[in-house]
Amino acid sequence: MRRSLHRIAQTALWEWSGAIRSRRALVLLLLYLASAVLCMNGTISILGKMEKELAAMLQLPDAGEAGVVSASLWKSKPFNTIVRSVVGESPVLDDISGRHPVELLYAWFVFFCAPLLAVLVAGTRVSEDLRSGAVRYMVVRETRLEWSLGKYAGQSLMVGGALAASAIGAAAVAFCRLPSGTAAALFVPMLNWGLRAWIYSLAWIGLALGLSHLTRSPGRATAYGILAICLCGALPPLMDFLHANADWPAALTQVRMLVPAGAEMSLWRFSAVPLATGSFHLIILGLVYLMAGAAVFDRSDV
Amino acid sequence: MTGTAIVTRSLSKRRGRHKALDGFTLTVPRGAVMGLVGANGAGKTTWMMTVAGFLRPDSGEIDVLGGGPFNAERHGGRLAILPQDSELPLEVSPRAALYRFGRIQGLSRAAACKSVDDALAAVNLGARASAPVRTLSHGMRKRVMVAQCFVGQPEVVLLDEPLNGLDPIEADRLRRFILAQRGRKTVVVSSHNLKDVERLCTHVAFVEQGRVVRVDTLSSITHGTDRAVYRLAAEPTDHASLSAAFPEATLEWRAEERALVCTFAASEGGVAAANRRMLPALLAQTDVISVETGLSLEEAFLSSARTS
Repeated sequence: MRRSLHRIAQTALWEWSGAIRSRRALVLLLLYLASAVLCMNGTISILGKMEKELAAMLQLPDAGEAGVVSASLWKSKPFNTIVRSVVGESPVLDDISGRHPVELLYAWFVFFCAPLLAVLVAGTRVSEDLRSGAVRYMVVRETRLEWSLGKYAGQSLMVGGALAASAIGAAAVAFCRLPSGTAAALFVPMLNWGLRAWIYSLAWIGLALGLSHLTRSPGRATAYGILAICLCGALPPLMDFLHANADWPAALTQVRMLVPAGAEMSLWRFSAVPLATGSFHLIILGLVYLMAGAAVFDRSDV
Repeated sequence: MTGTAIVTRSLSKRRGRHKALDGFTLTVPRGAVMGLVGANGAGKTTWMMTVAGFLRPDSGEIDVLGGGPFNAERHGGRLAILPQDSELPLEVSPRAALYRFGRIQGLSRAAACKSVDDALAAVNLGARASAPVRTLSHGMRKRVMVAQCFVGQPEVVLLDEPLNGLDPIEADRLRRFILAQRGRKTVVVSSHNLKDVERLCTHVAFVEQGRVVRVDTLSSITHGTDRAVYRLAAEPTDHASLSAAFPEATLEWRAEERALVCTFAASEGGVAAANRRMLPALLAQTDVISVETGLSLEEAFLSSARTS
């Protein structure tokens, strides 16, 4: 067991360093970092503009800082009641109400991008090695399962690094655009959302790598990954629709829990139990996807 | 070293419609350098890939180092392979790649560093060891691929066309390195260059259409102990006196090669005894340019291919 863990760790390091050196992965990560920074900058600008217009409309004095008006609105009881009447009672809403809008918009961004980042960065890593034959140098030294798990661990490190870098980048923008006290207060929550998005991305990395085991074509592996994002994204709303309109039993709609998007909202919770179970669910889901791909790979010729 | 390193019995493997292995039976003794000789598509590479666990056989038995079919848990680090058409990651350096391979095999940091240095020195790549693989020439990449086979202490090394693409100096260096492994490791070499196989191997297997048609020691295959070829300046005039010198032998004159082929039973004392009897009789009639023992491997292979 110890030797096996050692081999997985070595493969993960190898994978991580290989991914860092691979220009494609590096370019993708830099693009992601840049888009996080730009998104944060844009968010603060748009929010500031909207709040200025709102303040002017309500003939209130200009707050001078993006997010102040929204944060006050968010915390006000009547506004909360209005929101609840529109979206219904939701434990997620209970948990996130009162949080700074900039923080929540950043959270939305990282959760939105996590599947795409995972698929684009990790989706080709196995199929590339299958195509080039590089996998042969590894599976003669370690089991195929160890290799797959090492790849998963390496890619998770890679995406984790990207999310941490994006949180730091976004926080840096907040420091430039917002008063230092507000920005400092947002730094830890942003890292927190980055960590949550990383846990979410583990399921997607497992899915992307699992699919990557099925083909020697990196292009096809990416296409499978993007298709999987579309299908997995469509499943929860489809389940809701069927439950509401076609009288599907509620139990059947739990099929949604087989896709990462079905468990995403658990990571928006701030209560320990749903957060922990949601995280566990997503990690297991990622490993199940990976193992399914690895099982096919184990029976195939390399 | 005694016993067997690899045993395969009735191994079959289909690749598409083609039967790449069709009852491939071969036993490789420990410490031997076994040469696999055969036409393109005969099944040499498929056999190596099957033994290394890359390909799953359709039927048949495999035993590697007494531990059953290849299993990375049991055989990882004990069996190494130079696979065909397999690229190393292009962005890493040979040293980094080999170091990581050594660590995965379970070597300590210090042991991995030492083993990598030794392996890279053996293929004369020390100077470019830190350059990314993508900046290396085809021959250099090949040498890195060979070097990775000798990281750690593998007991069995499978080399698929190891000298292909190397310049003559590096090919010679690698040949010497492989020769130095005789008796220390079990090495299986596949090559279309039969002179290389002849120089490197102690045992040879002829492979045709997915099966071994002949396997033996090199000297038995090339008749190294029961055949001498005398290259002469001119045709001997008195054949009767030559027959009288060695009546137990069969003599054949090949005019186009100016060679007298002398075939005898190995029990007659071998080539040395034949020389003692034949050379005085030959020198009495003409000059002897050279004496060769047995067939060349190429002749033996072609003769085997024609008969089968």
